[in-house]
Amino acid sequence: MSFPSVRQLADAVQAHEAAAIARALTIVENRLPSCTALLAALHQPAQAAAVRAHRVGITGAPGAGKSSFIGALLAELVPQGKKIAVLAIDPSSPLSGGAVLGDRLRFGPAATSENVFVRSMAARTSLGGLNAAINDALTVLNAAGFDLLLIETVGAGQSEVEIMRVAQTVLVLCPPGLGDEVQTLKAGILEIAHILVVSKGDLPAAAALAQELADSLKLRKRAAWSVPVLTVSSLQRQGIAEVAQRMTQHRDFIRQAA
Amino acid sequence: MTFRPKVLVTKIGFDGHDRGSRIVAAALRDAGMEVIYTPPWQEIAAVVKIAREEDVDVIGISSLATDHLIVPHLMKALREAGLGGKCVIVGGIVPDEEVPLLLDAGVARVFHPGSAMDEVVEFVRQAAEKVQQQYQLAE
Amino acid sequence: MNKAMESRVTAASPEEIWTAEYRQQIGQETAVHNRSGIEVRPLYTPKDLGDTDYGRDLGYPGQAPFTRGIYPTMHRGRTWTQRQLIGLGTPQDYNQRLQHILAQGATAISLLPCNSVFRGYDMDEVPVELLGTCGTVINNADHMDQALAGMDLAKISCAMNDPTPFTLLAFLLVTAKRRQVPWSAIAGTSNQSDYLSHFIANHMFYRLANAGARRLLIDHIEFCVKHLPKWNPMSVVGQHTQQAGATPAEAMAFTLSAAIQNAEDCIARGMNPDDFLPRFTFFFDISISFFEEIAKFRAGRRIWARITRERLGAKDSRSWRFKFHGQTSGSDLTRQQPLNNISRVSVQAMAGIFGGLQSLHTDAYDEAISCPTEAGARIAVATQNILKEEAHLTDVIDPLGGSYYIEALTNEMEERIEAVMARIDAAGGMYQAVETGLVQRMIGESALRFQQTVESGEQTVVGVNKYQVDSEASQPAQPRPDAQSMAALIDDFRCFKNQRSATAVGRGLDDLARAAHDPKINLFSRVIEAAEAGVTHGEICACLRREMGFGQPLVAV
Repeated sequence: MSFPSVRQLADAVQAHEAAAIARALTIVENRLPSCTALLAALHQPAQAAAVRAHRVGITGAPGAGKSSFIGALLAELVPQGKKIAVLAIDPSSPLSGGAVLGDRLRFGPAATSENVFVRSMAARTSLGGLNAAINDALTVLNAAGFDLLLIETVGAGQSEVEIMRVAQTVLVLCPPGLGDEVQTLKAGILEIAHILVVSKGDLPAAAALAQELADSLKLRKRAAWSVPVLTVSSLQRQGIAEVAQRMTQHRDFIRQAA
Repeated sequence: MTFRPKVLVTKIGFDGHDRGSRIVAAALRDAGMEVIYTPPWQEIAAVVKIAREEDVDVIGISSLATDHLIVPHLMKALREAGLGGKCVIVGGIVPDEEVPLLLDAGVARVFHPGSAMDEVVEFVRQAAEKVQQQYQLAE
Repeated sequence: MNKAMESRVTAASPEEIWTAEYRQQIGQETAVHNRSGIEVRPLYTPKDLGDTDYGRDLGYPGQAPFTRGIYPTMHRGRTWTQRQLIGLGTPQDYNQRLQHILAQGATAISLLPCNSVFRGYDMDEVPVELLGTCGTVINNADHMDQALAGMDLAKISCAMNDPTPFTLLAFLLVTAKRRQVPWSAIAGTSNQSDYLSHFIANHMFYRLANAGARRLLIDHIEFCVKHLPKWNPMSVVGQHTQQAGATPAEAMAFTLSAAIQNAEDCIARGMNPDDFLPRFTFFFDISISFFEEIAKFRAGRRIWARITRERLGAKDSRSWRFKFHGQTSGSDLTRQQPLNNISRVSVQAMAGIFGGLQSLHTDAYDEAISCPTEAGARIAVATQNILKEEAHLTDVIDPLGGSYYIEALTNEMEERIEAVMARIDAAGGMYQAVETGLVQRMIGESALRFQQTVESGEQTVVGVNKYQVDSEASQPAQPRPDAQSMAALIDDFRCFKNQRSATAVGRGLDDLARAAHDPKINLFSRVIEAAEAGVTHGEICACLRREMGFGQPLVAV
């Protein structure tokens, strides 16, 4: 599939053609020569905020169960007819600059739906560069007409906090049984979470963690949006619908506030 | 930003041995490339979807049993999806007399066991560059 | 002055003299290490035995710690079982090959199912190109009956490479019933019952998610202990992890740790160790690292004798015996100059024999190219017979016992193995260790390290990185199943599905599905009942995957 001109590529992106979306993402991610012209062609300032895709960031420590959770979320939302794009961001090797990107294969069968577009992205080396690339990728995906954009990162450290700033709604997944996880999570990522999700809800330690998180939230200053603590079991498909509802709630909340 | 070759390393059919494909994926990563790595038993339709969404340059199929026998189906599916411009290589156990079957179907190269990793990496790099050259856009 | 006078004058010991002469003559030398990372020195002497005590550390064959062998007579009394893996095409094709290989000297049945069967599918669900190319297609009891036509099921031992939910065994038991052979006479091994090894390193056999596979395994062991007195329901597999790149010491450690996990699961179920431990067997890869493999097996025997008694509380000496099947390692074979593989297989087989195995499969030389030809399979069996009957390798039990090198190496391997087992214990046991990917990561590192030794030339592989030839002789044509007979089989199968009782099949599947959620029911007995009702292999696998979770292997690069 080839696109002779920027204009044709931009049109194909806006017509939601998968190959065009993919090509456009490659151009912006790699800052190829046509990048600026493409972004200009896709930029839609006149579009009402309500029509734009909802940008949801999903993060959490490795082993938190993000991939299973995303799989379960997709299984919940795809039958509703939603068009969903997932941007799965994995770290690059600090030595070679290359990366092995295997996240998308963990999302399960729902990700094979034609209504789900999954793109893997390597964090590469420069954090500032990464944020610019992600923002431009989101511009492409927004222009393509997706309803929901899921941005997934691994880890819950400082770089992930920065990445999550591109999201409108931030979900932080917390697995039970990792030890002193609440202490670790307090460093930054917990502060920017809009929804806290205790994963692996089928495990006995899940309830205790949910309580701990709820308690620590009480210590915070009151804000306009009250952060809910939800428990899910991706394995048993429990609690997923509630999370989806809260995501929508938060989307409506920020749109009203805007 | 630097352009990095993007490579899909995958297995179709039934074989589950992935020691070789993991080593190739690691070698490509260590050479600075971005590798989409899948578990074995991918459906052909799934491979096409990944190749399309990830805009990969090269698709590497690892085949140790007789799974190479369905690679022609994959090649057809890729062409029908408009992805015939991507480079496909096959690595693994392919009897000599069945190599032409793959080349005729459009596979660029078959790598047999014992192939030097350097050779594979270099071939992939050059193939990726050629694929990218197809995508020059007019302003 | 002669040497004797010299030594009297300088008071240099013979050892010191040798050391000096060795160093002077060898010049620059880098240390040599075996695959497990143990340094291999040029010479071993009584000093290297340390405080090895014959009675405590070696013992007599058939007595703890079994280092020299688990039976008093070992191969001199009874040759290892010659269990050659075969499988291709239709059940009739298999039967033909089976009759042939038995006539060539094999003494037991091993059946290699088609990859479609491994992946849990029926023949009418998969691309026809992939049917029967690497194994035999068996989807129901009729196929098993045809595959084993002419076999006296009461007299011959079977291993069918049959992972959970053990449908092939179910088909065998239904066949036995039809032939009026009592189940108490059925002998063999569930040689792919080790779901942990599949999850880690041979995803080919991995069908159900770990939790479901774990429950089914214990149900299976419980069932067999009660109803199949001659059947070994547990074969703990070291082959997969070693072929995936684990060092020999790691492979032994992972295997013993998995055995402990499975034994503890059985004990938790309420079983008595002395009821099931005598039915635990092991299955190992035999690499070409000759001495290392021998030491690996001797160390394994010693460690298992201790674990069964001290850790698992087994009191019957039959529980302490480390029974194992060895398969020569396909990962040492090369595609280049394939006839060289005959030499490699001979060396590997010798290592297994000196290592004291109970059952042996020797690879065909063309294994590295594709599924073996008849000629290749015949040479593989002949290799065993030559080693036994011409080289007389079985005349002495544990002939390398007492060698300073072998005993020192056995001790060192034991240490390495136990160090890895301690890591697994620290991670909460084998089940936990594999769920978190610890074992997979260790294997990945070892695999990469070995690959690097081959790429750098440090490890020679004849014909591949050294001694190459420019033009290779053309390879033999690959055996492929006859398209017409496969088409006929598929047609027959479709008829079978149409003609069986839909009610019986429906009920069989319902019972199976319900049992999957009821821990009080023995799930394996339901698999057998379903097989009897005409439910097919693919239907049974699909049902259990739906109810208990599709096995997704953990993938790490």
